[in-house]
Amino acid sequence: MVTAPPMTPTYLLGLTALAVLLYDSLRTDDGGAGVLTGISVVGALASLGTAGWFLTADTGLVAGMSEFSGAVVVDGMSLFFTALFAAVTVLVTLGAHDYDPIDGKRGELYGLVLLAATGMSVMASANSLATAFVALELASLPSYALVAFLKQDRGSTEAGLKYFLIGALSSAIFVFGISLVYAATGSLLLPDIAAAFESGLGERTGIAGVGVLMIAGGVAYKTASVPFHFWAPEAYEGAPAPVSAFLSSASKAAGFALAFRVFVVGFPLGAATSAGIDWALLFQILAVATMVLGNFAAATQDKVKRMLAYSSIGHAGYVLIGLAALSAEASTNGDVMGAAMAHLFVYGFMNTGAFLFVALAENWGVGRRFEDYNGLGAEKPFAAVAMTAFLFSLAGVPPLGGFFSKLFLFAGAVDAGLWWLAVIAVINSSLSLYYYSRVVRALWFEEGDHDLSGAPTALYAALAIALVGTVVLLPGFGPVIETAQEAATALFA
Amino acid sequence: MVPVEYYLVLSAAVFSIGLYGLLTRENALFFLMSVELMLNAANINFIAFSAQWGNLTGQTFSLFVMALAAAEVAVGIGIILVLYRNFKDVDVTVPQEMRW
Repeated sequence: MVTAPPMTPTYLLGLTALAVLLYDSLRTDDGGAGVLTGISVVGALASLGTAGWFLTADTGLVAGMSEFSGAVVVDGMSLFFTALFAAVTVLVTLGAHDYDPIDGKRGELYGLVLLAATGMSVMASANSLATAFVALELASLPSYALVAFLKQDRGSTEAGLKYFLIGALSSAIFVFGISLVYAATGSLLLPDIAAAFESGLGERTGIAGVGVLMIAGGVAYKTASVPFHFWAPEAYEGAPAPVSAFLSSASKAAGFALAFRVFVVGFPLGAATSAGIDWALLFQILAVATMVLGNFAAATQDKVKRMLAYSSIGHAGYVLIGLAALSAEASTNGDVMGAAMAHLFVYGFMNTGAFLFVALAENWGVGRRFEDYNGLGAEKPFAAVAMTAFLFSLAGVPPLGGFFSKLFLFAGAVDAGLWWLAVIAVINSSLSLYYYSRVVRALWFEEGDHDLSGAPTALYAALAIALVGTVVLLPGFGPVIETAQEAATALFA
Repeated sequence: MVPVEYYLVLSAAVFSIGLYGLLTRENALFFLMSVELMLNAANINFIAFSAQWGNLTGQTFSLFVMALAAAEVAVGIGIILVLYRNFKDVDVTVPQEMRW
């Protein structure tokens, strides 16, 4: 019997990227958009299906299996996140099929999205800081090009420049942090680093501490958390809307996937805290700062895309609870981190959907401000209903998917004894209802005058899938949270 | 043998020079050079401590870092080229289409 390699979902994403680029370079006519979208969607679906199959079938992979001399590990968490990246890739490539500004350059866009998704999938599997850095760059470099994709557009260029500058800075900080951890422990493999932490670092504790802090900085950039959040509003606003959707959902989740594994496996909290490197405290501070800043800034915006960008920073703050609420030897660790993973999963659907609606609005040529969306509900009811569901789910209104994931996350914080963190999160979450409902009010309750042409099929299909994801996760949330918590608990074993 | 503390001081100094350049320079190309300094500061650590620990992990990884730095510059130069075409300048403070 032939057994599939454990990393099949990742390989499929990478091979699909190559197939897209190959077809794009061989085709002679100007058409072929349908074929390109077809290859991308089918490839990403195959990856999603394989990841889901590995996750649910009795393959023994959920317990973890290391590859390449321990540099990469495939376990429940990496498969869970790979499934998420593949799902977002499906939505984004489908949505980009009808996105007019990228006409004639779809091959490049899909190829870059798929390559970035491959990098993110490796990030979720990285069991060595070397793999982590290479995967981070594989995810980042295509993202820079994607943000600056509209070469004639000044906004896109500016966004790409800022994203690149801050990305280059943070990756330099990240790799310097890795070098310090290597200096202190003598290894790049996470289990070996953990062993060095457990046996005491002696006089090199200080070096390791600075290294851990700098690695946290690199993670903060990828997840758009304070203090490296300020690229996010620019990059999301200037980038083509499908790219914003991809970055704010998949890229953020990839940053968290990396952070979960590196910090939990590499820097075991018990040993780190007794050495004075209490990274849970660091993440508590970052979580509060990120959610407060993101939500308050979102409330003052007058453009929808920028509001979504700040709200995405706010959501990074919620997910940081998954790291902040950890403590040594606690039995709640797996539950709260699993809840954070489940929130990222739901977020992958509702946030991608919201950005795809913005893509739709850009295609229609309506403006970017809240008042430009006035009256869209009467003219395009299906799209507006979908957008309303995404926004309410983002705000955490019951009974949508976003409510349950937030509930589990905040309950996890309370169980871990961080009730004050949960209180701050709930206050922020209720504030977020204010600015999300501004869009809903514009869509349904204001009078508007638009001359809208067309209902692009593929974009509508992507919206529908995201809507199904957001709504079906209501009855289907049980399996998601169970899988996530099982995968997270395995990490602490 | 040179004590390892000296290497740490050297790499910290190179890193800080890079960071200083990055925060003060307005020309995008100088920005890239500053990032290069910061990455090479990490390489100093990797190579010094590779010798210190007696394994080759650090030396090998420094090769990875160099390759990735080159890839990063390639993408960065591309973006700076588009920047120049759109804004007729490579000053990073010129693009002000969106407020910070």
